[in-house]
Amino acid sequence: MENNNLVEKLSLQAESFQEGFEILCKSFSFDEMVKNFLHLMRGNFIISEIIAYHKKQLDSEWKVIASKRNPESTDISYFKESKSVSIQYFKEDKYDVSILLPLADQSYLGILIGPKMDRGGFTDLDKITLQILLQIFDSAHKSFLNQKKEKGLIFELNEKVVQLNNLIDTVIEVSRYDRRNVLFELALERIASLTNASSALLQISSKTKSEQHFSFPLNIDVNNVLNSEFKLESIFDYNNISYHFTLADKETRNGVVHFNELDRLLLGAIARQIQTTIENQYLHSQAIEKEKIEQELSVAASIQQRILPDRLPNIEGYELAGINIPSREVGGDYYDCIELGNGKYALIIADVAGKGIGAALLVSTLNAALYSYLEFDIPLTKMSDKLNKLIYESSPSDKFITFFIAVLDSNSGELDIVNAGHNPIFLLRKDGTLEKIDAGGVGLGMFDFGISYTGQKSVMNSGDKLFLYTDGIPEAMNANEEEYSDERMISFFQNHSQNSPQEFISALVKDVKEYAGAVPQSDDITALILKKN
Amino acid sequence: MSTDFNLTTELHDKTLVIKTEGYINNAGGEKIVRELEKHADVTKLILNLENSRVVNSIGISHLIEVIEKLNQTNSKLVFTNLDPTIEKTFSIMGLFQFADKADTVESALKG
Repeated sequence: MENNNLVEKLSLQAESFQEGFEILCKSFSFDEMVKNFLHLMRGNFIISEIIAYHKKQLDSEWKVIASKRNPESTDISYFKESKSVSIQYFKEDKYDVSILLPLADQSYLGILIGPKMDRGGFTDLDKITLQILLQIFDSAHKSFLNQKKEKGLIFELNEKVVQLNNLIDTVIEVSRYDRRNVLFELALERIASLTNASSALLQISSKTKSEQHFSFPLNIDVNNVLNSEFKLESIFDYNNISYHFTLADKETRNGVVHFNELDRLLLGAIARQIQTTIENQYLHSQAIEKEKIEQELSVAASIQQRILPDRLPNIEGYELAGINIPSREVGGDYYDCIELGNGKYALIIADVAGKGIGAALLVSTLNAALYSYLEFDIPLTKMSDKLNKLIYESSPSDKFITFFIAVLDSNSGELDIVNAGHNPIFLLRKDGTLEKIDAGGVGLGMFDFGISYTGQKSVMNSGDKLFLYTDGIPEAMNANEEEYSDERMISFFQNHSQNSPQEFISALVKDVKEYAGAVPQSDDITALILKKN
Repeated sequence: MSTDFNLTTELHDKTLVIKTEGYINNAGGEKIVRELEKHADVTKLILNLENSRVVNSIGISHLIEVIEKLNQTNSKLVFTNLDPTIEKTFSIMGLFQFADKADTVESALKG
């Protein structure tokens, strides 16, 4: 009869056990699950006092999870040390029952149950119910652990997807930025996020500049990062600049840990992308610079070509030939022969210090001024003074012009000459005598001290040759970096005195080019030669 | 550990608005959880991330804890002013299955 009642009671409780299990399984945390379990116990046994303890391992300290009052420290002595379930029943004691329940995660749940409200003590039915409830808790706890594990796995999986996704986005974004500081800040933010680093640092150093650093978060103590026990580094060098990345303190919910292999790969990937972006930026800027230089050279070349004479005038009783071979980097060589009227001609050769558009513009200024001054038939020395002042005032301090002018009276053969800092000009007499013409003064635009230029006079006779040139001829280099030299040029001039001016110039240019061989021409080659028949 | 994180709060009836500033990492995430625990009776939490551009997965695990705590009391979480990168991250992590998003705090308060 008693057994029949027991079965009947248990049948009635079966439904409530099922509900209890579902409530326990829905618990958000372990503590909440225990509290729900105690609530279930109170309902089943009609008890007023029940206390729950928990310890993470067998040798850990007990921690109170749920109690309506502050339990006494001696209460834990009710728990019998055991690795298996232990239930002890007491009579006429402070507590009726003590329970030690080992859990699936190696932790322990301890429960102390006070006297029943009816003071009747635990019956056999209560004892069976208690056993069932403990099994329900154990099953719910296992389910809770499985759910937690499942959530953790889903979280980890999603985290990997985020890492991959962010890595791809970061690589794309990093390659787009052309402002370095934005690029570095973005990279540090992303790598910190990807690796769970507490902070990220980039130190940029070179031999010539002081160290620069970027960090995420912005206001970190650099020494804390560098001295961290948990750090990960990646370094690359480009153009003699060193880029040193340091990540510090990989975060977890339980403190900081060492970075892992995946973190190392992620940092390496971001650092490599930064390097590629820097390289691309450098190559792009080089290409733009090259294009700019080429455009400038093109403008300079067109200016120079406009100024240089298309053809030289025919001077009765004389033969005249000239040449200008611009170097790859357009220089500032200039030559001309300007007819002045009354059988007079101005032979000019000049060389601007420097190359490019600046030099070409200065030649243009000289050319324009020359044409103006020559119209007024003023003495060459005075004209040179004026040109000096003009060039001095219209050019930067490092720019000046070496300039030679000789005004020929073709009727008499008289030469009125000024050499303003140009290479010596040579007059080769018919009898082989070589005269050097270098009187004049400093290059135009070098100084403006008010010191007048001095002139020189000479006369060309039949068979005499006047040879004007720029330093592109004697300073032409061969592969051994040896100059063609003044001596070789003068010797060539003397040895080819029988040639016509045009033949002489062609032969001279050929000789210079043969001497230089494969060495590119670094300066303009300009020459003008006048022979009196 | 970095401390580059601050938050400010405003209470509108039973809606708590937390505005964060800085890196939402372990320290930042813990601060958000602790702030929510101070206001156990709120029915809605609005998390304004306007000044937070970076979040790591530890910070996200704290945000999931926030969502779970709110779910226990049938309360809800609304993220506002999300940086596109953070929004994408939250989406992949599945946060929007359990939390809403709004462009601004004002629209979240109305919703």
